[in-house]
Amino acid sequence: MRRALLPFLLIAACSKGPEADLQYISQARSLTAEWALVNEQAERGHLTAAYVDTMHQDLRQQLQSTAASLTNPRSAYGRQIQAVLREPDDAPPHELRAYASKLKQIEDSLESA
Amino acid sequence: MNPLELTLGIMTAVGGFVDISQLVFSGQAGSKFGYVLISAFAISTIGIMVFSEMCGRVAAVAHQPVFSLMRHRLGLKLGLFTLIFSFLSTLITCAAEIGGLGMILNHLTGAPYAVMCIASTLVLMASMWVLPFKWIERTYGLLGLFMVVFVVAVVAIHPPWPKVIGGFVPQVPQGLSTKEMLSFSYFVVAILSAVMFPYEAYFYSSGGIEEGWGAKDLLTNRVTSIVGMGLGTLLSIAIVALAAQLFAPANVAPQIPGSVALQAAIPFGKPGLLLALLGMLFAVAGAAVETCMANAYSVSQFFGWEWGRHSKPWDAPRFTIAWIAVMLVALLIVLTGVEVMSLVEYSIVFSIVVLPLSYFPLMLLANDKSYMGQYANKWLAKGLGWLFFGFVTIAAIAAIPLYLLTSGG
Repeated sequence: MRRALLPFLLIAACSKGPEADLQYISQARSLTAEWALVNEQAERGHLTAAYVDTMHQDLRQQLQSTAASLTNPRSAYGRQIQAVLREPDDAPPHELRAYASKLKQIEDSLESA
Repeated sequence: MNPLELTLGIMTAVGGFVDISQLVFSGQAGSKFGYVLISAFAISTIGIMVFSEMCGRVAAVAHQPVFSLMRHRLGLKLGLFTLIFSFLSTLITCAAEIGGLGMILNHLTGAPYAVMCIASTLVLMASMWVLPFKWIERTYGLLGLFMVVFVVAVVAIHPPWPKVIGGFVPQVPQGLSTKEMLSFSYFVVAILSAVMFPYEAYFYSSGGIEEGWGAKDLLTNRVTSIVGMGLGTLLSIAIVALAAQLFAPANVAPQIPGSVALQAAIPFGKPGLLLALLGMLFAVAGAAVETCMANAYSVSQFFGWEWGRHSKPWDAPRFTIAWIAVMLVALLIVLTGVEVMSLVEYSIVFSIVVLPLSYFPLMLLANDKSYMGQYANKWLAKGLGWLFFGFVTIAAIAAIPLYLLTSGG
């Protein structure tokens, strides 16, 4: 069993740089877009205060953990994620969407490379 | 057949169908691959219908629970291996459900996550201690019906129905890169695992024995398995469709379970949000109880201990200690700080690996005329049984490599 899995473990363990960071960029893009959606629905009065506050906490915590997992935190995507983290909880949805779109562009370009 | 009992049985199966893994994977499947993975839910649901019906029939006719069968059919060594692996996978699943409960309660009340995990575990344990089996199952199953808000939300947002219906036809999306293809394959395996979790079979067959099923209950078993699970899967499919329609264009592939509730808030505002959170709360609570009891059933049946919630807790002391211990260890796992999403992924991968070993002895017994007499599997159940056994075996072999290659999708 261990021998059979060895090639997969090696592939998984050896990747570094943008290739290895792709999953974190994808997570960060989604978390930023989720944040935008929460703020947009909150502005429309569709959400409870408890839900909005706890979602902000969870999203920020997940984004911090994603940023900490990057193998290349000084990259363009690393800086984008840090910029998202500097936003206040009630940041305008369009600003957060702009960050999510930039991260999506980086993700797409790395995927097609 | 009592129509009221039957209706309650079906509604319980519907409300109890979804758990935290299905919530997570339905949301992500819809946002990443649109409506295409609806077929994976539909096919996996036929699989769980086939095996649940078989489990219920074996329980009603041979009065044999799954782990008692396993010990006799697989032998002590392989039986023990299956017990250990399935115990660990179900324990991780139970921890994921408790973590999910903590998160949902945190979103509902704003109280700290860890406190909510502890409080919900205590409430679950109290309900398991006080309520008889039938009412444990019904309470959580029926309250889980709040999840119907997701089905109503799909109708309210007017999705492209031809695309939704087209999603029921198995297909591979065109133009995927190798990486996306691997991710798609991982999602197919994960959905199969999340829908066909082995604990569901252990819980269902043990429940049949707890309720004293006999040959007269076979029709109830068949209708509950087929109609209840068929309607239950509509909840997951609704979440896939909502994610395809609302999340995908917004670049959202939900990374935290609480985001799924937004799907009902967008069309219905605060009432939609609260109904979605309550439905998720009770559905996940039901799954936590089922996973906990499934582990206690498995160990007790394997070692031949007195088991069941039909007797008082102190009349089956080792069984009682087992379920209390499972619940407390699951809570401790959550309190170490491990992320709920990681627990969900581990439980999916572990469960699919153990699935073939869980269903193989069951199928052998259901095929055996010397045990089952006229109620042994006929050609349709046999054919479907072997077909799905083939599917879960392929998925079990592919699960770990796919998990490693795609970093969990």
